[in-house]
Amino acid sequence: MLNYYDPRQHRPDPNQDLGTPARLSEKHVALTIDGLEISVPEGTSVMRAAALAGITVPKLCATDNLEAFGSCRLCAVQIEGRRGYPASCTTPVAEGMAVTTQNGKLAKLRRNIMELYISDHPLDCLTCPANGDCELQDMAGAVGLREVRYGFEGANHLDAPTDDSNPYFSFDASKCIVCSRCVRACEEVQGTFALTIDGRGFDSKVAAGQDEDFMDSECVSCGACVQACPTSTLMEKSVIDQGVPEHSVVTTCAYCGVGCSFKAEMKGDQLVRMVPYRGGDANHGHSCVKGRFAFGYATHKDRIKTPMIRDSINEPWREVSWEEAIAFSARRLKETQAKYGRESIGGITSSRCTNEETYLVQKLIRAAFGNNNTDTCARVCHSPTGFGLKTTLGESAGTQTFDSVMKADTILVIGANPTDAHPVFGSQMRRRLREGATLIVADPRRIDLLKTPHGGRMLHLPLRPGTNVALINSLAHVVVSEGLEDQAFIEARCESGAYRAWRDFILEERNSPEALEAVTGVAADKVREAARAYAEVHNGAIYYGLGVTEHSQGSTMVMGIANLAMATGNIGREGVGVNPLRGQNNVQGSCDMGSFPHELPGYQHVADPAVRDRFEAAWKVKLDDEPGLRIPNMFDAAIAGTFKALYVQGEDIAQSDPNTQHVQAALTSLDCLIVQDIFLNETAKYAHVLLPGSTFLEKNGTFTNAERRINRVRKVMPPVAGKEDWEVTQDLANALGYPMNYSHPSEIMDEIALLTPTFTGVSYAKLEEQGSIQWPCNEQHPDGTPTMHEVDFPIGKGHFAVTEYVPTEERATRRFPLLLTTGRILSQYNVGAQTRRTANSQWHDEDVLEIHPSDAELRGIREGDWLGVSSRVGHTVLRCRISDRMQPGVVYTTFHHPGSGANVITTDSSDWATNCPEYKVTAVQVEKVSQPSEWQKRFEHFDRRQRDYLESAGNERTTDEPAPMGK
Amino acid sequence: MSGQGLEQLVKMVNQISANMHGATDEQAADKVATHLQKFWARSMKEQILAYADDGGEDLTPISRQAVERLREVRAAG
Repeated sequence: MLNYYDPRQHRPDPNQDLGTPARLSEKHVALTIDGLEISVPEGTSVMRAAALAGITVPKLCATDNLEAFGSCRLCAVQIEGRRGYPASCTTPVAEGMAVTTQNGKLAKLRRNIMELYISDHPLDCLTCPANGDCELQDMAGAVGLREVRYGFEGANHLDAPTDDSNPYFSFDASKCIVCSRCVRACEEVQGTFALTIDGRGFDSKVAAGQDEDFMDSECVSCGACVQACPTSTLMEKSVIDQGVPEHSVVTTCAYCGVGCSFKAEMKGDQLVRMVPYRGGDANHGHSCVKGRFAFGYATHKDRIKTPMIRDSINEPWREVSWEEAIAFSARRLKETQAKYGRESIGGITSSRCTNEETYLVQKLIRAAFGNNNTDTCARVCHSPTGFGLKTTLGESAGTQTFDSVMKADTILVIGANPTDAHPVFGSQMRRRLREGATLIVADPRRIDLLKTPHGGRMLHLPLRPGTNVALINSLAHVVVSEGLEDQAFIEARCESGAYRAWRDFILEERNSPEALEAVTGVAADKVREAARAYAEVHNGAIYYGLGVTEHSQGSTMVMGIANLAMATGNIGREGVGVNPLRGQNNVQGSCDMGSFPHELPGYQHVADPAVRDRFEAAWKVKLDDEPGLRIPNMFDAAIAGTFKALYVQGEDIAQSDPNTQHVQAALTSLDCLIVQDIFLNETAKYAHVLLPGSTFLEKNGTFTNAERRINRVRKVMPPVAGKEDWEVTQDLANALGYPMNYSHPSEIMDEIALLTPTFTGVSYAKLEEQGSIQWPCNEQHPDGTPTMHEVDFPIGKGHFAVTEYVPTEERATRRFPLLLTTGRILSQYNVGAQTRRTANSQWHDEDVLEIHPSDAELRGIREGDWLGVSSRVGHTVLRCRISDRMQPGVVYTTFHHPGSGANVITTDSSDWATNCPEYKVTAVQVEKVSQPSEWQKRFEHFDRRQRDYLESAGNERTTDEPAPMGK
Repeated sequence: MSGQGLEQLVKMVNQISANMHGATDEQAADKVATHLQKFWARSMKEQILAYADDGGEDLTPISRQAVERLREVRAAG
């Protein structure tokens, strides 16, 4: 008998559609299907059981990522002792059941059903975009349909119009069989509920929103409906243009920290479409508008295709060979060190590049530059996570898998906006909320998660920007003072002295919600209600984002979160935990790989002689035992004249870092700036060397997502300039006289495994075998670690840290009475260099300033007005959007477009422990204006000049216009 | 480094002192010194030590104590 126990152990082929979702019951039921004995978990459908037994039952409306619907009737079977022909998708297995899937009667029934479908379906298979990839076509073949007796003369849908409004897919209603798979995918997978079936009976049709065009509806273009469609009704335009792909490669998305697995579907070396991979452990076959569709930037004409150099930034670029560019770079770096000293140069690793590339850049800096002046963009996003979690829990990483959220009873989201910034995980969270979990959101804005359709209980704590620590202290105060602590956990797992000190501190009346109400702006009874909702359930899980870290008390807040989780025993099992949602695809990886100036790979401090010994032996070089400069320190040192050269791989500090004018001043102070990127980004405009970067489609490597999951990145096309990024770093090292001789990134990973205790068991072979690995992966955890801290903490006992609320110095004044907070939106990614060069700009073609109606009225501001936004460091102009998502006194913008100058306004105020900038709090004034700011005028002038310099080197004129689809 | 750069370092150390807590001032200063030793670049430490030598007038009392403690830590190697 075939036995199917835990589907995780007997993982079915992800490319096979088993018809209905898995059931996880431990109780098993035995039955026979076409005489074959099989045992499956209770609750499994007959259709799935048959598929597991290797028997295919025809189907149209069923697919295994959606609950069974039973509308097409094609999957009818016969069951001994039962009347009629039950649908196998909606019929659960029963003990001793005897099922027949094929006989003369069933064949006739299925042919009749298909005949009816086809009688109202265009017969243009040969010219249809889905030709060869159409389930309707397959089923017609499977049931042996040979004739259609009903004519096409009667009423039909053959002339139904096509909705082409979405830039990435079209909706051809004439081909729709109304199976509802798209409607159900929108509900069950994505959770947006944008689609519905309009009308009844013959008039039934799929409608977006209030029967609008897809673009005008609430559709978020995640692609779930397109993937679910069994015909060519919902079809990628790239497939309509180019035809069905001929091969595919599984790889990992290079957008956010969810790290979705995709099948890159190809024709030769041309990418036709990205389809979310059902075997992906982070996304289970779901996607968002970025990963699914916004890949056209990879072949955009703005790609830098040749290395370029120049002596000064006031000169045009000169195209040169790789050899000349590398030799020029090495010479300039050496000259700089000869003149200004060993510590006068440094580099920045990329959180968008692979682990192997990041590892190599920090190795280049430590071994070939001979100093520790390495940092990464995690400095400006999650460095407080590293500091805070290492201090309290002993490891700089989130504690759970994404799937863990499905066991959470209360989900506490602080300073994160998952439906925009981590959309695929946002959808999973929404699924859990629809199952009844309680949601608590602590955020100055009313984020969309609070509007989850069919969600359960939802609490919003709309705190004032900058008061996170006050809020977390008051939540903890309620937990302790109302006796909601998990004493058993605390006694067994936490350091008692530190706990007692923390307990005494948190119990002080000044930390009560009543005392802090005036600070946070959140009503005390709501804080109490939220604290109980988190602490009283079995599983409370905390998810947080940059709204926690990007503050002057970011590190304190991270520790406050860890304290709260420990105090309530919400650590060390599924359904709980402390979960930082990482911004960029490989922020976790770049931190793990030793990008920070004080830590070698694996968070091993440079001052530890035993650690250094091991690295020195492997790298055959003496290492500096003192930390190097962090990014903001590099800028300060550049302005002071002691830091003179910088190598930046895949990061746009001139746009993403705060106080743009300060950054610009620093960059112009450098004697040598080497930028390696796929486009002429803002930083590259200040560079002397521009080295072409490669996209994730053009290289091999690994990314590590927010759940510590190491996923393979696989090359599907050759790099446009001939080199993967790690090869360029290697060339530079060799030119500097430090030999590197890797022939494949797998060799770099082997070296990482050798030197990083949490990576000992990681290898490309193991990744092939397992699909992905969550570190730590070593002798103690040979297959990786889905849930951290199950038995103890890496520091032994958990450490409660006293989290005094120290207000930021950045506060509203008479001159700057509003607080600006910055964030992200769904369709654009970070500095927008990629997404701005795709049709995603149709959703967001400029950054706007969101302002509360009362603040707008006070200033006589209307929707669409140009607004001058000033802070103590700068001034910019943005268009106004009036929004009641904001609270009075708070304004909001994004930083996806360079000309917006959002970071011209943000200041040098930063986290006390890590210098992570305080992007989330800037005191500003807003007024109506009629022209761009002085900075914007200068920006435009400089931008135009730099584009000219690029063009004169033989490049095409750069624009931000999207590439034509699929070209 | 001088001027703006130094000003920034003084601001940073004072901010660390304001956020680090200990049972006594001495304990707090100790923690701040450990933090500086662990996270600051050599050049930054040297500058703040030189600034303290010159009087360090903008350092808060805990910061001043911390910088002195840092000097001892570094002297001890």
